[in-house]
Amino acid sequence: MDLTFLLYLSSGVFLGWSLGASEASNFGTAVATKMIKFRTAAIISSVCVILGAVIEGSGATQTLDTLGNITSLAGAFMIAFSAALTTAWMVKLSIPVSTSQAIVGAIIGWNFFAGRPTDLTILSEIITAWFLGPIFGGIFAVILYALLKLLFTHWKLHLLRKDTLTRIALILAGAFGMYALGANNIANVMGVFVKSSPLPPLALPFDIILSQEQVLFLLGGIAISIGISTYSHKVIETIGNTIMKLSPLMAWVVVMAHGIVLYIFSSSELRDLLISWHLPALPLVPVSATQAIIGSVIGLGLAKGGRDLNWSIIGKIIISFIITPITSAIICYISLFFLQNVFLQVVY
Amino acid sequence: MFHLHLSLFSKAKALEADIDRFHDKLIDASMTFTRAIKIYTTEGRNPDFEKHSKQIKQIEHNADELRRHIENNLYSYNLIPDLRADVLELIENFDKVINKIDEVTYMFYAECPDIPEEYQSSFNDLVRLSADAAENMCKASRSFFRDIGAVRDYSQKVYFVEHESDLCSRKMIENIFASDRSLAEKIQLRQFIDGIAEIADEAEDFIDRLLIFTIKRDI
Repeated sequence: MDLTFLLYLSSGVFLGWSLGASEASNFGTAVATKMIKFRTAAIISSVCVILGAVIEGSGATQTLDTLGNITSLAGAFMIAFSAALTTAWMVKLSIPVSTSQAIVGAIIGWNFFAGRPTDLTILSEIITAWFLGPIFGGIFAVILYALLKLLFTHWKLHLLRKDTLTRIALILAGAFGMYALGANNIANVMGVFVKSSPLPPLALPFDIILSQEQVLFLLGGIAISIGISTYSHKVIETIGNTIMKLSPLMAWVVVMAHGIVLYIFSSSELRDLLISWHLPALPLVPVSATQAIIGSVIGLGLAKGGRDLNWSIIGKIIISFIITPITSAIICYISLFFLQNVFLQVVY
Repeated sequence: MFHLHLSLFSKAKALEADIDRFHDKLIDASMTFTRAIKIYTTEGRNPDFEKHSKQIKQIEHNADELRRHIENNLYSYNLIPDLRADVLELIENFDKVINKIDEVTYMFYAECPDIPEEYQSSFNDLVRLSADAAENMCKASRSFFRDIGAVRDYSQKVYFVEHESDLCSRKMIENIFASDRSLAEKIQLRQFIDGIAEIADEAEDFIDRLLIFTIKRDI
């Protein structure tokens, strides 16, 4: 592994770190209500995100790969860097940004710069998935809420036992959410480096061999974990105390609903199963965890009898669908120009 | 994990049993109180009344010990903090009703008021209403722990009975002050009526809080 590769990979690692710092809010309620310590939440999150990335990360990565066949390491670096920069900028503007939208925009910017056509069928699948993410989040939240209501209407459980079960369920849901985040969002972090990675396969104990792609995902998973451990504390507390100031059971609904959304857009097995049942298969696309959470919270609010939709937050999500990829594409295009003509690097 | 799971549930089971026993204390206190006042109004302070009065004191003492035990265990048991705060507040307020029953019984024991024959039946009616409020409060509180959907039904009964006890106590006070008894007697009787009616008031205050905690936990 040479130093140049590590230098170029740094933008992907940075993107992974910022993803871990900003989107790992699954344990928000559990940590904010002091149900579990941040340290415990960070350890569970890190393990699950790495497992999700390594085991099921390839599905969504293949979709991004079809959108832009990036074979140059310098080009991959600039795509990830542009996406990271756009994400940071949008966060500053308080827009619920998605790294998925930023990376897709940057890939399109690269396609333009390299003079390669963008596969419009794949692009439309990706954009549909962005819309479906929060909508599915809302639908799953409503279904889970109805099931929970049915369960507790018929199952007279003592409050203390219910409390114990809630705590266990919240931790399991948080772990599932992180696994799904790793599986779905690793494509954003490491997807563009897959074609240009010189990393060799890695042999682990118990005859486990990680492919070249999985080694890259392992590195990305570790970067996300470092983001969770070093910088997500404040975000987790903010989310737990403000946006997701829900009762522990409702927090479980939201975390599960968003986890299911991320999972169905990542799992190749689930897609194959749907196809074998002659059901419409969903594209394997990286979607936004934050937007799925917002969709779930809105769905839950409607299911509980709320009549007013928060149009301001919905508007911000739609704005994010438009301006995040465009901004990212422009930044990527300009940066690639400088990288090619000033720093004399081969970017495609 | 399996061991942790089992130990969490066995701890919960012990605490559940303590909370149930604590609720039983109010039912015991309320029934003993009704019987004690009935004995007092018909026979005065006789050994039977004294026996019941001591029983109530003992129930109150046991309830206090149980309350402290539950409160300590609630801290060691790793409840969701918000729920722990609510349960602690409920237990404290629940105990106030038992204390009130003990306080009123002791007033009868220590002051030995003369209950005129024409008010004896009203006194017993008022005691029955207050005891009814306390017992329904107990059922509502038990439901909060076991069947949250039933809390509202029992709470409504408490509100209804408390209103009835208010009407009954006012009518008694008006009748007493319209009579030609001495002012000292009138004031003493009013204090006893207020004391008995306060049991229902405490039950109503408890229910007000309980309903808020129920709404917080309603799915």
